[in-house]
Amino acid sequence: MNHPGQWFESDPLWFKTAVFYEIHLRGFFDGTGDGHGDFRGLTEKLDYLQWLGVDVIWLLPMYPSPMRDGGYDIADFYGVHPDYGTIEDVRTFIDAAHERGMRVITDLVMNHTSNDHAWFQEARSSPDDPKRDWYVWSDDPTRYDEARIIFIDSETSNWTWDEQAGAYYWHRFFHHQPDLNYDNPEVQQAMLDVLRFWLDLGLDGFRLDAVPYLFERDDTNCENLEETHVFLKKVRKTVDDEYPDRVLLAEANQWPADVVEYFGEGDECHMAFHFPVMPRMFMAVRREEAAPILEILTQTPHIPSNCQWGLFLRNHDELTLEMVTDEERDYMYSEYAKDPRMKLNLGIRRRLAPLLDNGRDEIELMTAILFSLPGSPVLYYGDEIAMGDNVYLGDRDGVRTPMQWTGDRNGGFSRADFAQLYAPPLMDPVYGFQAVNVEAQLRTPSSLLRWLRRFIALRKEHPVFGLGSFEVLTPANPKIFACIRTYEDDVVLCVHNLARSAQAVELDLSWYNGRRPVEMFGRSRFPKIGELAYLLTLAPRGFFWFRLEEDDESA
Amino acid sequence: MSLPDRIEGPLGEWVTQQRWFASKAREVASVNVLERVELSAQPALELELVEARFQAGTHELYQLLPGEDGGLRVLARLLGEEAQVGGVTFHGGLEPTGDIRAMGAEQSNSSVVFGEQQVLKVFRRVEPGINPELEMVRFLSARGFRNVAALTGWYEYSGGIMQATLGIMQAFVADSRDGWQLALDDPLGVLARLPELGAATGEMHSVLASDPTDPAFSPEEPSVEALSLLTATIDEQIEQVFLDLPRHTPGLDPIIGRGEEVRDRLQSMSHVGVGGRLIRHHGDYHLGQTMLSDAGWTMLDFEGEPARSLLERRRKRSPLRDVAGMLRSFAYAASASELLRGVPAPAGWEEQARQGFLDAYLETVDQSLLPAGRPATDKLLAIFELEKAVYELRYELNNRPDWVPIPVAGIARLLQEEVPT
Repeated sequence: MNHPGQWFESDPLWFKTAVFYEIHLRGFFDGTGDGHGDFRGLTEKLDYLQWLGVDVIWLLPMYPSPMRDGGYDIADFYGVHPDYGTIEDVRTFIDAAHERGMRVITDLVMNHTSNDHAWFQEARSSPDDPKRDWYVWSDDPTRYDEARIIFIDSETSNWTWDEQAGAYYWHRFFHHQPDLNYDNPEVQQAMLDVLRFWLDLGLDGFRLDAVPYLFERDDTNCENLEETHVFLKKVRKTVDDEYPDRVLLAEANQWPADVVEYFGEGDECHMAFHFPVMPRMFMAVRREEAAPILEILTQTPHIPSNCQWGLFLRNHDELTLEMVTDEERDYMYSEYAKDPRMKLNLGIRRRLAPLLDNGRDEIELMTAILFSLPGSPVLYYGDEIAMGDNVYLGDRDGVRTPMQWTGDRNGGFSRADFAQLYAPPLMDPVYGFQAVNVEAQLRTPSSLLRWLRRFIALRKEHPVFGLGSFEVLTPANPKIFACIRTYEDDVVLCVHNLARSAQAVELDLSWYNGRRPVEMFGRSRFPKIGELAYLLTLAPRGFFWFRLEEDDESA
Repeated sequence: MSLPDRIEGPLGEWVTQQRWFASKAREVASVNVLERVELSAQPALELELVEARFQAGTHELYQLLPGEDGGLRVLARLLGEEAQVGGVTFHGGLEPTGDIRAMGAEQSNSSVVFGEQQVLKVFRRVEPGINPELEMVRFLSARGFRNVAALTGWYEYSGGIMQATLGIMQAFVADSRDGWQLALDDPLGVLARLPELGAATGEMHSVLASDPTDPAFSPEEPSVEALSLLTATIDEQIEQVFLDLPRHTPGLDPIIGRGEEVRDRLQSMSHVGVGGRLIRHHGDYHLGQTMLSDAGWTMLDFEGEPARSLLERRRKRSPLRDVAGMLRSFAYAASASELLRGVPAPAGWEEQARQGFLDAYLETVDQSLLPAGRPATDKLLAIFELEKAVYELRYELNNRPDWVPIPVAGIARLLQEEVPT
């Protein structure tokens, strides 16, 4: 039995000041030399993650799976895919992470299983099978026709005919991923038992995949239904009662007003991703104006004080454009997906660095804005060294290529033969492993990796970024995004220039009259704030973060 | 008498004025009692876990033992009885007896000696998890390592807030003298005993690496990045300390403006293959952590560096980190003789101390723990010494400007030495 308190002091709000790091296990490090990343390999790289300042490792699904959807098609909730290792390897990894002060969460898909799952095999076998009702069946493929199709590039209906069952089964994602029937109390109980199994192993929580779709009701779009929230509250209560200090992170790619429902009254999910802010940050940097970010922030409701947003620039999926207007989507495609191969479903399948034309200033600026917003930042593996993508690989595999550790064979990812690798590492002259790798950036004091480590450390020194209030400033210069964060006595001013040109901005800081801005990276003291507007000049794509310190000395 | 605690005035004021309160420089927002266990009604003795919350929102936890005279007898009895009171469990079985006296000036803990037989150390700053001192002393005692005072008991807390070690009891080493004081009082006498200390240190590391079946102690291979991560971290520390270097502090001259040179030197030293193994080690090793008695050297204080988190202190690292700590303390002793006593250390003392200690250490220690070959060992050792010196420089600049020349000389010395090849 694991005692969470043995590793961490009890702190129900730990996730609010944490930095998350998302890992595609298959692509991180191959510890067994078979061409696939695995738990042993990941355990070997924990020192690196600790050095970087990661608090929480988020793993994509590692369960047995036919791998027709990157493991989100789970065939057994109680095992580990043989490519990744064994349950014992998972336990060793979790303990090793805890020893280094890092927590671990994994993806859990509650909405559906793989059609290979034993439950589905039983269910389809006969209408009288006790598991039949664990899935959603119909004779009529037009039922629930108000529900949209999510994977529009590959699916034509949410119903698929099953010859063996003699009925249609419901699926919101791929046709090989039948939805579980949450109206059946046995399914709810079975899923709670799955949670208990992994929490007993020491896991610190879950990213709950695709939560808006658990229930179906006639004459609705079958998303965000009340029944779904009731069930998630039950999940939360189970976790709170039996496993304190864990976290539930909801993936609900919805508008902020709908997503906040997943926090309940602070009694549902601890965290939820803020999806819509992400494309708007890319829009803002391309249009050189703060308006897109400001608009979405004003639309974002307050959330309970024991909850937190998960914020990210990129992840393992396409850069999703579901939560933008048609016009905005066209703009994003024209700016960021000039090659049609870069599009996927309603999104763009590219990594951070290529999206920003590998601009170091742009990467730093976007990271700074992300880190200044109220929420916990979620980094995507490889983005810390500005890895590229491979648009010639299918589906979302182009942003899931092997982590580039060194300039050696296979980028130091694996000792296997090149032909054995699950996917080729990048080898192009700009983003290839010989140009972009951890080893080289570790040795180069001015590298992005070394900069990001310092920046993460800086953010973590100030709980204000996770716990503080958030106030947007609206200076006359529309190219500037500025905000004030306040927590207890810590007041921080973040000013970002979205323009490609140098800018001056006058900020109304009269509320802080008498305080002195001290730049947080170099600790340079700036002139005191007075009655008049505070003038700052910023380099192209530049930013300043200041502490506003009480200052008794005269200027 | 330092214990039981006699709290006078408001709790917050009292706590923040104690010597063991770690964050005197920070602004405390509030001090709250999170847990209170009554250990005894007559005489009164309580155990309290108290939280100091800081303005920035972080906090630290401390152990308090408020009570009346005679309260320590209760504590002794509970240890002897292996009692359990509330969330506090006592281990030992050997009731400490005899006169009780407080140990002298301690920074971060409070210790009392029972009948010159046993010494109980009460940890003040409390963090979740097993305290490395308990873990290390228990491991070394169980394996018959002679240069450590045997473990005779401990007590711990387990409850809603955390699980934590609260205190440990060891045999008291009578008629011994602190290695640091001794080096100042009798430098040549100590010099003659340093090969013995080097050998004991080598043996300690060999014992600590001897049990592959205990996950907390089994030696580990360093990861491919280990040295790069270490170098990158030290490089940042150098950059920071040189960024803040005051312009007009006497004693800085030998290194002023040479930050880039130091970083280049670090870079060149780090071109060494990965090697050696990572093990549990002392963690805060210097002359002041040793005692010399008729029985030989005894090593103390296995808590690790108090400024680091408990998780950090339990990490396995190269044993050469301990060696570097001891070598740096020879540099301190040589200079302190002049600074504190007005008597320069005997000519060549530091060099001879280094050599005597190091030769015996390298001869004794399990060779598989070191990088292959003396040049690689020397380089890694030099990196750890530089790390220490940079840390010392920052500390002395903030606390004891008179002592700044010591780390400065250490850094300058590395700049002069040839890189071992």
